[in-house]
Formats: sequence, C-alpha cells, structure tokens
Amino acid sequence: MLEPLIQNNVVCHAVEAMVFASIACSILGVIISRMNLSSIGITMSHAAFAGAAIGMYQGVSSQIAAILFSVGVAAIIGPVSDKAKMAADATLGVLFAMSMAVAIFLISYMEYMGKGLSASSLLFGDVVSLYREEIYALAAVSAVTVLFVMAFYKEISAIMFNMKIAEASGMQVRVVYYILLFIIALSVALSLNILGGLLIFVWLVTPAAIAGQFCFNVKSMFIVAPLVALSTSAFGVWAGFEYTLPIAPLVALILTGTFGISVLFSFKRRISAKMH
Amino acid sequence: MELSLIELEGIYTAYEGDDKPIIKDLHLSVDRGEYVVIGGPNSAGKTTLLESINGMVRITHGNARVCGLDVRSCGAEVRKKVGYVIQNFYFDPFTPFTVEQVVMMGHYGRIGLLRRPSEADRAAARRAMGLVGIEGLAGKAIGTLSGGQQQKAMIAHNIAKGPEIMLLDEPFSNLDFRAREDLQGVLLDLARCGIPIVMVSHAFDGLPDIGIRLVVMNSGRITYDTKCKAGDVECILRQECVVG
Repeated sequence: MLEPLIQNNVVCHAVEAMVFASIACSILGVIISRMNLSSIGITMSHAAFAGAAIGMYQGVSSQIAAILFSVGVAAIIGPVSDKAKMAADATLGVLFAMSMAVAIFLISYMEYMGKGLSASSLLFGDVVSLYREEIYALAAVSAVTVLFVMAFYKEISAIMFNMKIAEASGMQVRVVYYILLFIIALSVALSLNILGGLLIFVWLVTPAAIAGQFCFNVKSMFIVAPLVALSTSAFGVWAGFEYTLPIAPLVALILTGTFGISVLFSFKRRISAKMH
Repeated sequence: MELSLIELEGIYTAYEGDDKPIIKDLHLSVDRGEYVVIGGPNSAGKTTLLESINGMVRITHGNARVCGLDVRSCGAEVRKKVGYVIQNFYFDPFTPFTVEQVVMMGHYGRIGLLRRPSEADRAAARRAMGLVGIEGLAGKAIGTLSGGQQQKAMIAHNIAKGPEIMLLDEPFSNLDFRAREDLQGVLLDLARCGIPIVMVSHAFDGLPDIGIRLVVMNSGRITYDTKCKAGDVECILRQECVVG
C-alpha cells in the first residue's frame, strides 16, 4: 500500500503493519482504559499467545489458531462474569493465568521434545518477516475497528461513561460489549506477530493514557490516541531500521517515555487539581 | 379502570448467578402521580426492588408489569420508559464527558441503535437541564462538578428521556438543604404531571406536603404500606423498622 512512498519492501511492510496495529489497538485502548478493563488487553494478548503456541504445536497456522483461541476467550469473558457473579477483572485474571499456563506448557514441552520452537517473535514482536496477507488482514481489522466506533459511537460513549447507567437507560449495552470483546480479540490476535504478546499491552493502554492527559472529551481522545500511536510507531520503525534496534520494544519504550512527559505537561491534570 | 403503571404480583428476585432470593413474595402497585417513599433498614431489599421494577435484576417468580410491559421479557423496553437515578456514583475529574453529553445519554436508549441524536433530542436534554437548574453547566466536564451538581445532572439525564415513571435511589445523599428543596420541587412537578415517583431515601426533610405513600421493607418483603403526611414519615419508619 505504501510502496510508492517507501522503496524498501521490508521497511514498507513494517511501517504498514505498525500503522494498522497502532490504529486498531489505540482506538480500542481508549474504550477499555476508560472502562477500567485494561486487563482485557493483557488477557486477550496472552490468549492469542496461547493460541499461537497451540497452532505451532499442532503444525497449523499460528495466526489462525491465535484468532480462534482469543475469540473463544472473548466469547466466554462476558457470560462467565455474568453467570459466576464475578467482577469482569476476576474472570480476566483466571483466563489470563490459564492462557499463560497453556502457552508456557506447550513451549516448554516442544523445547523438551527438541522441536526447536522459538517463541521470541510471539513474545516481543517481529515486524521484519511479515507476509502481505497478514498486513491486509490487519488493515481490514483496523477498518472494522474504526467503523465499529463510528457506527456505535453513541452506545460506546455511554458504556465508557458508566455501564450501569447506560443499561438503566434501556440501551443494548451487552450487544455492544460483546462486539467490542470480539474486535479486541481479532485485533490482538492479528497484531501478535508484530507487537508481541508481552508488548501489545503498551499499544492498548499507553496511547489512550497519553490522550487522557490532554483531552477533555471522548471524541478528541479517539483522534489523539491513534495519532500518538501512529507517530511514535513510525518514528520507532525509522529509528529501528536506522540503528538496527528491535522495533516493537523500541516503540514501546518511546510510548512509555511519551506518557511520562505527557503527565509532566498535562494541563488537564493541572486544571483538575485546581478545581479540587 | 386504568391499570397501574407498576404492577408487581408475588415477585421473587435474585441476582445473576445467585439462587437465594433477595425479594420474596412482594406485591406492589403504583398509580399515576403517586409519590412513594420506600424505607427500611439496610439490606431490606430497597435498591433491589427499584432494579426489579426496571428489569435490571432477574425476577425468578411472579408477575411484573411496568408501563403495560412484562418486565421479565421486555426489560430493555421498560428501561426506556423508566427513569432510574442510581445510588453512590462518582465521576472522577478525568471523565471525558460534558454535562450536556451526560444528560443527552439518558435519551440514547429511546433513540435506538445506529441512530444519531436529532435536534429534538438535544432540545429535550436542554429542557431537562433547565428544569433542574444546571443549564449554565452544560459545557463543563461532569467530573469537575460538585457531588450535588453531579446528582442534579443525573436527574436531568433521566428527565431527558421523558420517563413515565421515576425511580430514585437515595437522590438527596449528596445535596445540601437548598439543593434538596429545589430537587423536591422538580420531583413534585413530575408527580403533578402524572409521573409516579418511587424513591428510596433516608433523608425525609423537605418531602413535599402532599399525600406521601410510605412503603416499609424488611428482609425482602413489604411489611407496611400506608398513606401519610410528609412530617410523619420518619416517625412511622422508626416504629416499623423496629417491628419489622
């Protein structure tokens, strides 16, 4: 897609992958961080990680297995927290531990059996060896994320404000919540190879947290968070190739540094402090 | 004869994943324009009763009809017609919504999925803000308001949807005396328009001087139900809670 602008195919794919992963994850991050459900990100990323490990163990596509496993986890998060009368965070904690155990068990077992599995790209991301199909899939899921937010903006903003109050207004909050979980699962599973199971959490949380330091309304958060993620990712890709550094961890560090600076210079924080 | 807006017949309710009923064999009917105060000790099931009326809590047995709809099968439809001011909310200063947006959200259920608010919907939100006296705060972030102003915003949020019934859970808990009086005036106006007010409260000063219906709950059951003067509410409640 960006070939006319970037001649080098590897760099071009890396930039495209980072752009789409940043758009999808940072937009979803605005929603889940406002709903205090950041653990959804960590649970989904580990579910995708476990799915990828299962795929490798079974000798099938690790990406498809990651999608299936994380969508499966997404499908049980809502009903389990409803039926088990548990807070969503507690359900997520249990699912996170289960996913991590499955992934570590399979990876250790395959190493023990001498299958020579390298899990580093799944854990820390790899933007260099990507297939074109992976980038198209990521572009599609980014588009779905943007369309989802535009179509259900009214419902999403009400859920972000307060889920119980939204439900009391007669809104179909559960339908929107379940679609949200499904899209998070898809985005995380498709971004796994690029951002890494351990680092994807940074994209889901940090851009939204940075936007939250400056934005007084949710609409601007949906614009600022992807812009922050896009610009830092693009800079990280350039710096990574220029100085031969691991790209996903580098971008994660830049985003974290940007968050630190944004807290220092947050005028919203200062205004809020003055009012209280 | 006109049917009551709230008609509960022998209902039992339980929270999702819990078989133990919180409300047991409860009968209640509320007519247009009634001003109902629900009192009783902690854990009597008062909040659960409000959430049973609007279908947010599962009714396991019995019949419940609200605004002519079966609550068990049409919960979301019932909630579009019933205002419900929840208890103990707090919006932090970083909440990225203005007062006007929050008041508007009360109307979202009625607008429906995939539809945008119209100018008429915005006008309804502005009217609701005017009724509770917060039109001047429309553009402010909700989290930067005082507790009392946030409470008023939530009441406007529920008025904006044009409710047929108004449920309120401890609506005066964050309000000073003046704000309580203002709010009682708003609720009285709603009652005079035929909208029944059903309120759980422990603060009885400033109740309007109209016929109050006092419903006392103990252990998930209604143990006393009477019409009384506003000034007698606290006294009756003291006696009945002890007896219950």
